[in-house]
Amino acid sequence: MVGYKQQPGKLPFSKPGSGGKNSFSKPIEENMIPSSQGGKLKQPWGPHRHDSLVSGQVIGKDTALVDSNWKVTGQAHYGDDVRIKGELIGRIVRSPHHYARVISIDCSRALKLPGVVAVATGADANNKFGVLPVTKDEHAMAVDKVRHAGDLVACVAAEDEATAREAERLIEVEYEILDSIHDMRDGLKDSFEPIHDRGKYHIGESNVQKRVFQEFGDVSGMLSSSVASYKEDWVFAGVNHAFTEPHAVVAHWDPTGRLTLYTPQQVPHYVHRALADVLEIPMHQINVHRTFVGGGFGGKSDPFPHEMCAAILARKSGRPVRLTFDREEVYWVNRGRHPSRIEMNLHADEEGRICGIETDALIDGGAFASFGHVTTYYNGVLHTAPYEIGSFHYTGARVWTNKPASGAMRGHGAVNSRCAVEVGLDHLAEQLSVDPISLRLANLLPPHSSTITGFRVTSIGMRECLERVRQESGWTKKFRRLPLGKGIGVGCGFFISGSGLPIHWDPNKFPHATVHLKIDMDGGVTVHTGAAEIGQGSDTVVAQSVAEVLGLPLDMIRIKSRESDTSPVDLGSYSSRVTFMNANAAISAAMDIRNNLIDATAQITNSDKQGLVIGDRRIFQKSDPSVGVSYLEALHKAQEDRGALISSGAYRTPPMGKTHKGAAAGLAPAYSFSAYAAEVTVDVETGQINVEKVWAAHDCGKALNPLAVKGQIIGSCHMGMGQVLSEEMRYSRNGSLLNPDLLDYKIPSVHEMPEVTPIIVESNDPEGPFGAKEAGEGPLLPILPAVCNAVYDAIGVRPSELPLTPEKVFKLIEKRCKSEGILDPLHLSPPSLNYSDLQTTLENRASEHSTRDISRRLNEERSEYYNGALFGLDPSIPPDQSDPSWAVRVTPDQSYLDDPRLAGSAWKHTERRKRGEEK
Amino acid sequence: MVQYRLPMLPHPEEIEWTAEVNGAETTLHIENNAVLLDVLREKAGSLGTKRGCDMGTCGCCSVLIDGDPRLSCLTLASEADGTSITTVEGLSDGHHLHPIQQTFTEFGGSQCGFCTPGFLVVISALLSENSSPSDEEIKSAIEGNLCRCTGFQQIVDSVRAASDILVAGDRVEDSTSAKSDPHPGFGEEV
Ligand code: FES
Ligand code: FES
Repeated sequence: MVGYKQQPGKLPFSKPGSGGKNSFSKPIEENMIPSSQGGKLKQPWGPHRHDSLVSGQVIGKDTALVDSNWKVTGQAHYGDDVRIKGELIGRIVRSPHHYARVISIDCSRALKLPGVVAVATGADANNKFGVLPVTKDEHAMAVDKVRHAGDLVACVAAEDEATAREAERLIEVEYEILDSIHDMRDGLKDSFEPIHDRGKYHIGESNVQKRVFQEFGDVSGMLSSSVASYKEDWVFAGVNHAFTEPHAVVAHWDPTGRLTLYTPQQVPHYVHRALADVLEIPMHQINVHRTFVGGGFGGKSDPFPHEMCAAILARKSGRPVRLTFDREEVYWVNRGRHPSRIEMNLHADEEGRICGIETDALIDGGAFASFGHVTTYYNGVLHTAPYEIGSFHYTGARVWTNKPASGAMRGHGAVNSRCAVEVGLDHLAEQLSVDPISLRLANLLPPHSSTITGFRVTSIGMRECLERVRQESGWTKKFRRLPLGKGIGVGCGFFISGSGLPIHWDPNKFPHATVHLKIDMDGGVTVHTGAAEIGQGSDTVVAQSVAEVLGLPLDMIRIKSRESDTSPVDLGSYSSRVTFMNANAAISAAMDIRNNLIDATAQITNSDKQGLVIGDRRIFQKSDPSVGVSYLEALHKAQEDRGALISSGAYRTPPMGKTHKGAAAGLAPAYSFSAYAAEVTVDVETGQINVEKVWAAHDCGKALNPLAVKGQIIGSCHMGMGQVLSEEMRYSRNGSLLNPDLLDYKIPSVHEMPEVTPIIVESNDPEGPFGAKEAGEGPLLPILPAVCNAVYDAIGVRPSELPLTPEKVFKLIEKRCKSEGILDPLHLSPPSLNYSDLQTTLENRASEHSTRDISRRLNEERSEYYNGALFGLDPSIPPDQSDPSWAVRVTPDQSYLDDPRLAGSAWKHTERRKRGEEK
Repeated sequence: MVQYRLPMLPHPEEIEWTAEVNGAETTLHIENNAVLLDVLREKAGSLGTKRGCDMGTCGCCSVLIDGDPRLSCLTLASEADGTSITTVEGLSDGHHLHPIQQTFTEFGGSQCGFCTPGFLVVISALLSENSSPSDEEIKSAIEGNLCRCTGFQQIVDSVRAASDILVAGDRVEDSTSAKSDPHPGFGEEV
């Protein structure tokens, strides 16, 4: 059958495996094929290296999540839905004290209770673990001390829940209460009993877990050229992810002695590592099975002590153990956004350039390190873009306190300081009498440039985002023109799309993501990936990528991503890395198979490989589409003498970034950008804020699944709205958490949600899969400042403390009334704006830059561009080489230490090897 | 600081409990203080009914009792004795999804999916009463359900789309019908 011509409508025979239906393949959809490949898809941002792989199947189309039928029929099994015959129910005994030494634990009464099978305490697991290898400071259960109310002390497994709860009460623990710390400012001071003994090095006797100092450029010189400044001390309350599924875990040691841990985890691989450490067994003896995950948002990305507890109990009892949290316990493990105190200083010069940013961020880590090392950096380095800045100074410190641990949460580390920056920019615009959008547009970094801290930024859709938002919101007609109580505000965001360095840095250069494909004679494609589907659609995006490259409909792809036994290692769903890294790995795996299929087709049809293209389930000559074979024919030919087609693809970030200490924090293969405008109504008499409308533009590179991207944008809006308006983990004066439930911890309901208009901007990232970047976290950032700025536009008060509860807003209104001598707040006047001359300068600069940006993104021959060019430095040389006064400093000098800022004072402590050692 | 769920009676009595669960007559022996959510999940096999908070704040545990949406975590099982209960598992017939199930997949109503069962039963009750609800009616129907992923907008979109299907009298395609053929013909379909 060499070289036959397949006639339209006539098939030579029916192949086994086809189901005998022979439905027709659709002609290639020209509108989905990029113009660089001869199709009709316009590419205003230029061609992409994956263009030739586009077969017009699914990329760019609204696609239902591939696992959604399981969810809508109630057959998706989450953590607590895993049932294994003979299971025991586990419960955890938690500390009632904020900080105490455990003197003794008496389990005898509990063990005597009929139905109690096993009890475990800290003595059963001595090894420390933690998500970052550099800061392992957690135990499965308290070994010596409990560090926050709710910390784990012991655990018990019993035949049923009632017995387990009863046993929990019968375990008697004797504590010696220690002085606890609740105010993060106290964490900076020396303490008699620091919360952690870190072994190798100590920052005085303080509770400082991590401190950062960074200075770039001529920081002291910046003040001399500044004509407008913003200084504000911000206070941000801690917030929780409040995902709907409480944590749950099932541990099962099977008859062969292997452990399977069923857990709703965002990062199964790190749990895998931690389990091996804690249980002291090799990793290959453990199978981590990720169940469906009922929301993560960063809150299910640490290896958790309760996961260890379940495994320990199952080992002790010899039976499967299921352990599920009450909602309250979710708040005890927390890992939510850090409560923070941020001092933000911004300076603008007479040309409306941002000549300096000085940030000082003190963040409250709670009792454990978690991701805190990284968070401390992110609070500073993630606001060095999208604007070109003259100089940058950052001091950050994270302290341990006796609260549930803070950790990673959607927009990790960037959210609070971004809010302060964007509100500050609004204030600068006000002082300079210019439009805040124009101010931003005139200060953007161009595509393919380097930030002040040396991050390599590739595609930038920031300008487009701002312009679209300005246009769609009717900005010019509304800004500073709405009546009292109504306002509009803008905010921007910048976020990493995957982190450049994996958390477990590895000298072996392991890839960040790996995907395996297997196709047997039935033609269906089995995809093995370790990427954690947590509802964001990671399974779907991998399926889409494979389907696109192979020219297959989505129903022919099946994803196996659950078990570490069968899935290649993937670092997990954090840092918005999955689409970028995992889809890239999937594309490279699919390219292998694609080549196999094309080779086979070339053999069958006796034609040249170069001229063959893949369309809908068919491989044919581009010049004469009737010459070709079906997918199944090509597959069967390719399988001759070898059986199933198998391939593996991997992704690893390119080398990038600078070498100063901490240079790797914030490095990413690509960055996302977003701009929001929010319209609010403020009741001037009560301080109640209603967000009415939000225009949300996000640059995700390329929307592989626009439906999911919009879902992420709207969902981010929801979460950010909660933080800015109502969400807060409230602590009493003696440090107790007051609202560990969804009634008092108020997330927005359907009535509080504004009408969100998602606007997708596609900047076509050169390294992203089909041009894509992240869309899961970045869209959260702009909503906070957009709302704050809209509140200012409405009533002329600038908030500096979140959440903006009516009480706080009303106090601000009252203050303004008092200072203006007005009795009735209804007589206040909303802020107004008369453009200064600078406005025209900015508009001109913005339009020049716009031309520059278009040429830089389309012209591959572009030259280097380092931050600083706007200030007259040579754009092609790194500023530290072109300007002798340009500083790069990562430790403070004495003059700074004489008068440090709040977090900066952490540097007053001397680092020492042993506790109590003399200087 | 640790608060417990409903206090367990020291010696609850066993009672016989009968209800029609998703169309099937179900008789169980349960404790007289058992909560409906526990009975549904642990004894009646409805793991699709989710526990998000156990205190009536999230709506994940919503079920229909005699057609009305109820929070099963706040309902004593004995109160539902003799009633007809519908959980998410009872919405489709195994072949055809309920229109709201189908549109939830197509319009992004479900991301992580944990809140989805609760939304689906509540919305199915709304739609069976009123097949073309206004936006306000949709919002008040789901105001007791929390979703942390979607921001509700695509849920409301899904309800509108489902209402269109219902009004047009359409049915969702049989899920067991043949999927794509890997050996397709080419050209004009005759
Ligand atoms: S579990 Fe019933 S409302 Fe949350
Ligand atoms: S889809 Fe995740 S909570 Fe609603």
